[in-house]
Amino acid sequence: MTESQLERGRYLFAFARGLDQARLEGVLGLRGAPLEVVEHRDLQAVVCSVDLEEFGEAQLKEHLEDMEWLEDVARTHHDVVHAVSEAGAVAPMRLVTICSDDVSVRGRIESLYPQLSEALSRVEGRREWSVKVYATRPAPPETVDAGRPVSGAAYLQRKREQAAQRRSTGDEHLREADEIHQTLARSVVATRVLQPQDPRLTGRADTMILNGAYLVPMEETDGFRAVVSRLAELNPTLEIELNGPWPPYSFATLE
Amino acid sequence: MAENPRRLLTQRLETDPDSVERDLFKLVLTIIELVRQLMEAQALRRVEEGDLTDDQVEALGLGLSRLEEAMEDLKSRYDLTTEDLNIDLGPLGTLLSEP
Amino acid sequence: MSEIQSSVSGQLAVRDASQISLVDLLDRLLGTGVVLAGDVLISLAGVDLVQIRLHALITTVRADMPVPRNLQGGADG
Repeated sequence: MTESQLERGRYLFAFARGLDQARLEGVLGLRGAPLEVVEHRDLQAVVCSVDLEEFGEAQLKEHLEDMEWLEDVARTHHDVVHAVSEAGAVAPMRLVTICSDDVSVRGRIESLYPQLSEALSRVEGRREWSVKVYATRPAPPETVDAGRPVSGAAYLQRKREQAAQRRSTGDEHLREADEIHQTLARSVVATRVLQPQDPRLTGRADTMILNGAYLVPMEETDGFRAVVSRLAELNPTLEIELNGPWPPYSFATLE
Repeated sequence: MAENPRRLLTQRLETDPDSVERDLFKLVLTIIELVRQLMEAQALRRVEEGDLTDDQVEALGLGLSRLEEAMEDLKSRYDLTTEDLNIDLGPLGTLLSEP
Repeated sequence: MSEIQSSVSGQLAVRDASQISLVDLLDRLLGTGVVLAGDVLISLAGVDLVQIRLHALITTVRADMPVPRNLQGGADG
């Protein structure tokens, strides 16, 4: 029986500083592989070994289109990053960053050292919170039931009015979203506005008018939640959804 | 702001011998509805641009209102709502809108 | 942090860290966000058969656009 030459690589979950490795005990990497820490200067990289047959460039393209595979890897990735965030300052990696070996990992830390140090300082002791704002979709206009035949011109006129109504509602939403975002921005360390999410992906019919990420010092968590609560009270026609605390994905992930 | 292309995921429509008819019908209805909405949006734009005669506007409106009725009829016969058809001109609209 | 409050208009919904939705996760981990294209891949009995590229099928026509050659009247190559 021939032994297959499995090519292996190092999957990078995150960089860290001041990592308390004991707190990573019991946390597994991908496919049950143990987590390992590669150190260089005052920084650490949290990695695990993976098969390049699964994670190498060839297969990767297909896998990235496969929702099941994506979900599985993303959740493990998040669980690891979350554990690291509880054990030190963390700069998460994007999904599927592979280095050939530990020498390569250290090399990466070395070449990214200034940006990494800066990013870690930026997020140390801070957490990401997601604030999404939804506006209720107006009821769909009634279609023609009474009074047909309607003249063609009248039909188009009605459609124009509906379109104008949608546009003005849209403008109002932009104003509301901006106001909420500015209020939140004043009470946090950093912000990032993300694209609103496709309703088919969120499973919600409402219109998402704001998808914001906010970096909040841990000791200011209660104050931040109070601000969000207050905004919810002030905007009864909107629904505000707060999620977190999360690792600082939107604030420390290097491109 | 640096350009940030978005990852596009293709939706897979899984069917089997028992469901394939209804699934394909839903898909066809979805495409018809998409085309209908695009026609209507484009007609409105042309009307607003003001380069159509009164007769053309009347004929367009009449045709589109009949199309809307026919669509409502088809949907109700198969007990489908617009949400069921999964139409969201959002991302697609962006791909199709004029520069 | 593990409280979950259900949300009604004007109120707040809060969830804990382990409940990050897949969409939120992919938005952040993939760096390009996630969106569904107007494409459908039809598969029957587990076999991929046909892909429909909606955005390639459909474009809107403006008054000032040239008419496609094959639709012009008169003799043409």
